[in-house]
Amino acid sequence: MTRKSASVKLNAVSVQWFLPLIWAVLLAVCIVGMPGLESMFRWVETDARQVIYDRAALYELLGRHVLVVGVAAAVTIVVGVAAGIAVTRERGRDFLPLVGQLASLGQTFPPVAVLALAVPVLGFGTLPIIVALMLYGLLPIVRNTLAGINDVDPTIKQAAQAMGMTPWQVLRQVELPLAAPVILAGVRTSVTINIATAALGATVGASNLGDPIIAGIVNGNVAYVLQGALLIALLALCVDSAFNVYQQHLRQRLSAS
Amino acid sequence: MIELSHVSKQFGDDIAVDDITLRVAKGKLCALVGTSGCGKSTTLRMINRLIDHSSGDIILDGQAIEQYDSVKLRRRIGYVIQSTGLFPHWSVARNIGLVPRLLKWPAAEISARVEELMGLLGLPVDEFAHKYPHQLSGGQAQRVGVARALAADPDILLMDEPFGALDPITREKLQDELAKLQARLHKTIVFVTHDMDEALRLADQLVVMRDGRIVQQGTPLALLQHPADPFVESLLGGLERGLKQAALTRVKDHMTSLGPTLPAQSRIPADFTLRQALSMMLRDHCDRLTVVDQNDVPIGELSLRRIVKEAQLDKVSQRDA
Amino acid sequence: MSLIDALPSPSFKRRPWYPNVVLLCLSVAMLAAAWLLSFVSVAPNRIVSGTTFGIVDAIRWPGAILVSLLFVAMTALACVPSPRHYRAILGLITLTLLLMPFGLMVAGHWLVDPSLPQARLGIGPAYWSVLFVLLLCLVELRLRLGLSRWWPTLLLGGVGVAWWGCAALWLDHLALVQEFQAREQQFYQALRQHIALVSTAVGVSVVLGMSLAMLMRRYQRLQKVAFTLLNFLQTIPSLALFGLLLAPLAWLAANVPTLAALGVSGIGNAPALIALIAYSLLPMVRNTYIALEEVSEDTLQAAKAMGMRTSQRFWQVRFPLALPVLLEGVRITSVQAVGLTAVAALIGAGGLGTFIFQGLGQAAMDMVLLGALPILILALMVDAGLGALADALRPGGQE
Repeated sequence: MTRKSASVKLNAVSVQWFLPLIWAVLLAVCIVGMPGLESMFRWVETDARQVIYDRAALYELLGRHVLVVGVAAAVTIVVGVAAGIAVTRERGRDFLPLVGQLASLGQTFPPVAVLALAVPVLGFGTLPIIVALMLYGLLPIVRNTLAGINDVDPTIKQAAQAMGMTPWQVLRQVELPLAAPVILAGVRTSVTINIATAALGATVGASNLGDPIIAGIVNGNVAYVLQGALLIALLALCVDSAFNVYQQHLRQRLSAS
Repeated sequence: MIELSHVSKQFGDDIAVDDITLRVAKGKLCALVGTSGCGKSTTLRMINRLIDHSSGDIILDGQAIEQYDSVKLRRRIGYVIQSTGLFPHWSVARNIGLVPRLLKWPAAEISARVEELMGLLGLPVDEFAHKYPHQLSGGQAQRVGVARALAADPDILLMDEPFGALDPITREKLQDELAKLQARLHKTIVFVTHDMDEALRLADQLVVMRDGRIVQQGTPLALLQHPADPFVESLLGGLERGLKQAALTRVKDHMTSLGPTLPAQSRIPADFTLRQALSMMLRDHCDRLTVVDQNDVPIGELSLRRIVKEAQLDKVSQRDA
Repeated sequence: MSLIDALPSPSFKRRPWYPNVVLLCLSVAMLAAAWLLSFVSVAPNRIVSGTTFGIVDAIRWPGAILVSLLFVAMTALACVPSPRHYRAILGLITLTLLLMPFGLMVAGHWLVDPSLPQARLGIGPAYWSVLFVLLLCLVELRLRLGLSRWWPTLLLGGVGVAWWGCAALWLDHLALVQEFQAREQQFYQALRQHIALVSTAVGVSVVLGMSLAMLMRRYQRLQKVAFTLLNFLQTIPSLALFGLLLAPLAWLAANVPTLAALGVSGIGNAPALIALIAYSLLPMVRNTYIALEEVSEDTLQAAKAMGMRTSQRFWQVRFPLALPVLLEGVRITSVQAVGLTAVAALIGAGGLGTFIFQGLGQAAMDMVLLGALPILILALMVDAGLGALADALRPGGQE
């Protein structure tokens, strides 16, 4: 790699780091400075008395939204990747077809239905929405873990074994690092979808960025809906672009081109 | 020292390896040759227990193979495969240092050893240490593969068609380097290939396999002169056997001292093979060559008659033995 | 010849008795669930939550033993798998499914006080778990026996009809049935609305999506723009999009009389349909684009070499070969649409979501169930049906 191309590459990555930062800054600005945009919202929604959502502090809602998505993501990643690894091992291979189908089935369940069904069992609040997000977000992660691990060149695994690595070492030092980009893509899809889906939690008493949207729909206040939508979209863009940067970073180390 | 005694391997109803008995002496290169599916790769993989044999005994350095812990065993045996099996997410240096790291060598020792091996395999450290496998050519990648296999200084090296995926020029170069390496290091090597010329070139001991059985084993010269059956003969080149035999003998072993007549025009270095001598005679339309040493000083003579007669003499001497 | 030749060689026996671990675990799980979780719950009326009962209280010892025997039989058969045994397990599963409403009937007979007209029977976790695990067993069996998707779909269809019959005739005590009977007309109307919305949305997005994908293949610049836009659309929560369409459409309806005459208004079908189509576009366009792209270039070259025109090549070669992947896209889109339509209930579009949100508002869980269950079943049916269609149309009949 010549000096010039190396520096060009460096620039590309650092420029990309700006993107999530930009979204994050925009998000922060909106959270803090929403009242400042009152005139803009007044232009959109002329009827209502109030245009800026103030039944709860926006940063609190953001915090709860992030918490809900984060907890669901953490659990799904652990469970999903572990399940994917378990069924690709020698002993677990019997369960591979079932787990694959199960994850696929999980995405057929509409989140709103799962949410509704979770309420009688788990009560109102954040727990049912976390469960719904977990179920819905499991498929991309499991499917991508399976694909990633299966895509690892079997001769490399054989060479690793032949060198004298224990199965655990082969998994940790060879299979997982090589499958990481694909798994990460799955996590990215799962989290990004969940950020939007979490808004439904507002219907079951999980207070988050979906609150303004529901309130807006119920009261016919478009400004509220816009605020909620804007914040969620900014959050999604921020998280998605951060994942994108990390993916590029990983891909550089393994680039086949 | 590797010893296989009546070893068989069965996959379900399919007998991949059928009752083979083989002995590889220490420091020698044993080549397993045969067509695809004859069981040579399976045999190789039974030695480092990637596959467990169904019956018979495999003994390494006096101990039955089952008594070794398979993971520890593999760290003591080097393994080179056709597709290199290099880890794409690790640099060349890290790939080579794999087994020393598994054996928990101190870091300084590991980097010293990596540098040593890269030098041995003709890979300049500055240029290659931080490259990644996808940035290497086929030949370079396989050199790294060999370096990785040698890293922990194993006594035994298993090579499964290591040069099969390379172009002929690179293949020849690497064969040369392996021969030189072997002359220096004297590892016990089991080498699987379907390329007879490669086997004839490198092997101290040649084993021909077919349908899971050993058809013939011995030195390359012995097999060339006395193939056991038409299959082996055709494998060895049929009519070409004569030339292949000539390729195994050095000019210096068959030259005569300088005679009173004028030295021949064409000169041939003493350590070239008889085959190259024949080729030179055909090329230059002569039947006499002057043999020279490294400094281009004539040290002997070689005639066509001598070459043909020597071949005959070899055969005679074999029969008498 | 050495002595070793005289000994029989140890052969690599493929043990025929290697058990099917998956079915084994699943049947043991069902046994555990049936005994450890609560079977049914009985409530005196709609508002109060009921008391739970275990298997023995609900269906007494004979019933409990019958159920246990069924699961034990399944476990035993799973230990020695063979096609015959698999079919036997399939039979046992069908039997269990058919017996389930009878279990509820018996429980109702024993536990529900006939003097209380409002008393109702709720289905307990044991029931749901067993049902779920039975479905998993069906999935596993379908894979092991290599059945196409039609068989289990038909089977479940038959079971569903049997349940419907039982519920209509004998399960008056069931809370679900009571809710249903209280608003039967509403339910059917909601169902019709739901299906209508889904089919319209999917139909329009199929046509739009395909046209868009074909345009994008021709004009490369359009591709980048279109994908960016569609990706952005997907990050907007469905809820928000529904809400955002309220005002513009209301304004349109107020100011453009023809549209109002057509039925466009701020709430109801119009915003729901627009939002549904918008969400369905991305998967549809992306799948169609990939489906059309991935047809083997070699095949198309051969077609060109034989003198087929561009349009002939498209309709006779590229399109049929792309059809299975296309249908996959339709499947994904449809399933997504079923779920999103439920949310559309919030803006007055009707559909089964109304039961969910009304039930949540009234804290009447059985009403929620009345809405959520059909949505789930609908989603699964659409998934299975379109999946089977895609499999049938796949060239070469591969899975």
